[in-house]
Amino acid sequence: MSSKAPSTMTQAEIKLCSLLLQEHFGEIVEKIGVHLIRTGSQPLRVIAHDTGTSLDQVKKALCVLIHHNLVIYRVHKRSVVEYEAQCSRVLRMLRYPRYIYTTKTLYSDTGELIVEELLLNGKMTMSAVVKKVADRLTETMEDGKTMDYAEVSNAFVRLADTHFVQRCPLVPATGDSDPGPPPPAPTLVINEKDMYLVPKLSLIVVLAVLHSQAPLPESSSVCSQIFRSLPGSYNISKQVLDQYLTLLADDPLEFIGKSGDSGGGMYVINLHKALASLATATLESVIQERFGSRCARIFRLVLQKKHLEQKQVEDFAMIPAKEAKDMLYKMLSENFISLQEIPKTPDHAPSRTFYLYTVNVLSAARMLLHRCYKSIANLIERRQFETKENKRLLEKSQRVEAIIASMQATGAEEVQLQEIEEMITAPERQQLETLKRNVNKLDASEIQVDETIFLLESYIESTMKRQ
Amino acid sequence: MAGNKGRGRAAYTFNIEAVGFSRGEKLPDVVLKPPPLFPDTDYKPVPLKTGEDEDYMLALKQELRETVKRMPYFIETPAEKQDDIERYSKRYMKVYKEEWIPDWRRLPREMMPRKKCKKADPKSKTAKAADRGPSLTNSADVLKKIEELEKRGDGEKSDEENEEKEGSKKKNKDGDDDDDDDNDEAEQEEYDEEEQEEENDYINSYFEDGDDFGADSDDNMDEATY
Repeated sequence: MSSKAPSTMTQAEIKLCSLLLQEHFGEIVEKIGVHLIRTGSQPLRVIAHDTGTSLDQVKKALCVLIHHNLVIYRVHKRSVVEYEAQCSRVLRMLRYPRYIYTTKTLYSDTGELIVEELLLNGKMTMSAVVKKVADRLTETMEDGKTMDYAEVSNAFVRLADTHFVQRCPLVPATGDSDPGPPPPAPTLVINEKDMYLVPKLSLIVVLAVLHSQAPLPESSSVCSQIFRSLPGSYNISKQVLDQYLTLLADDPLEFIGKSGDSGGGMYVINLHKALASLATATLESVIQERFGSRCARIFRLVLQKKHLEQKQVEDFAMIPAKEAKDMLYKMLSENFISLQEIPKTPDHAPSRTFYLYTVNVLSAARMLLHRCYKSIANLIERRQFETKENKRLLEKSQRVEAIIASMQATGAEEVQLQEIEEMITAPERQQLETLKRNVNKLDASEIQVDETIFLLESYIESTMKRQ
Repeated sequence: MAGNKGRGRAAYTFNIEAVGFSRGEKLPDVVLKPPPLFPDTDYKPVPLKTGEDEDYMLALKQELRETVKRMPYFIETPAEKQDDIERYSKRYMKVYKEEWIPDWRRLPREMMPRKKCKKADPKSKTAKAADRGPSLTNSADVLKKIEELEKRGDGEKSDEENEEKEGSKKKNKDGDDDDDDDNDEAEQEEYDEEEQEEENDYINSYFEDGDDFGADSDDNMDEATY
């Protein structure tokens, strides 16, 4: 996945990276990581000097960051080593719960634990992962039963085949270092590139087309190929499949297109179109929820007609001039819509220039993405604030729980346990309940905003690739 | 082209009708300050998605947040480690952090902590970053300094200088074996020495000379005076 150059990171992204690094690895790693994100490639000593951190701590932080694929290093001539942060990789930490859960739905608990261990540990050898996951699964099984290592290995191989996990590249030996023995087993890392959440629309057929299309996503699939790759359990006849495909191809959303008639019909998935539709739908939804449905109507109108004058907007949308004007300016001020000048005469005289409203989906998507980063940063900060406010009470509650747990282990009586529990008063319990509810809400919001980020980033990347 | 100013009414440089205002109409107020921090909204936010998937992911997220704190990759600042009050329950809440040793083959050589001969612990906090290249001049300088200070007769300082001298001698031995090209800064060396000193309970050179450790000391009252 392409990494953004540090100079293109916005303040919002840097802030979010800082919060994520701090929660995951602590303040020291955060300080070094953020410094590299801001400044770009730097050697060890410069980092230590600029951040005012001891060399020893910088080294520890870098080891952690490199191990977790958040920082890379390059050896230049005369053995000068420079370290560079992978900012987009840091932001990806938001998505870990979703990756783990998606793996669970596709590859069950074994797959889920494999991905979880790899995400927590950055990189591991296959043997280490298999052992750890097998041991974890054994713990959950009935007494006397153990998890078969081979089963875990198989799951691992399946994950590697579908690129959920991938092998780390071998480290080239530099002139300076003695060529040590090659690593005994490949170390593995999570590859998120192909973890697309498949849209729910006609899932079966879409998956079939995808399966028969590897390696190039843009290449066409023949109808008969699709038919063969459909899972048998679905029991779809060729005619029904044909109908489905025609329906999908004719759909105005244009996710699937027909590219020819040979072999019963050639079909292709237009991923870029799909992403563009989803991005546009997201923008429309945001406008509707923030500014109302009349505004959304205007937005859709301008989108459809590409360029409209003020007067035309009023007429087409059938909204009174004053209101239309107000709405257009609101959207303009928040950069959902932009104004384009078309001069009528060569002297660009303002009185003889068209001013047209237009929607530039790419730049609107970028703007919205930026707002998403800000939102998540705000959500995290608020959650940390709420937790900090109630720190004393939370610690008390944890201590009480710890005491109760140890008392239960040593066989205490019910009465004694109740006494300890009563150390937390009823209003305090209420406070804890409220806190839990708020923290859950904030956490859930983070996960949902990240879904939008995924969509917008995918669309932007897909669009940039085509340019 | 300068506009006509001060000639009565202001004239717009563009066709005001094109952007939707009719001539003479009252324009909206100029905005003089940033919008409020928490503005009132006409439309309330849409409720969050709920469901099995979301619940599971939420639980995962919160679990992960707790788990990462216990991993060896989470580096705590020294300040956090201080406990304000000794608590009974702390006994039951101890978290044992596994040690993590990086795969040095995948990291540049300068990442490795330098071992001091005296300290057997390779993960020692006093790992030195710099390796000395040709450092004969360094030790020569140090020796010179020591001589000067000894002349001044500052007993305590000479102990420290001895230690530095010993330390750098040992590092020179290491330096001959390894060949990193890290740039050398004298300040770095001094800084590391101080750091090391703070963590020692004993002055390394205390028993260094091997002879008469108490003989020259005026403080030693154990020896009988005849």
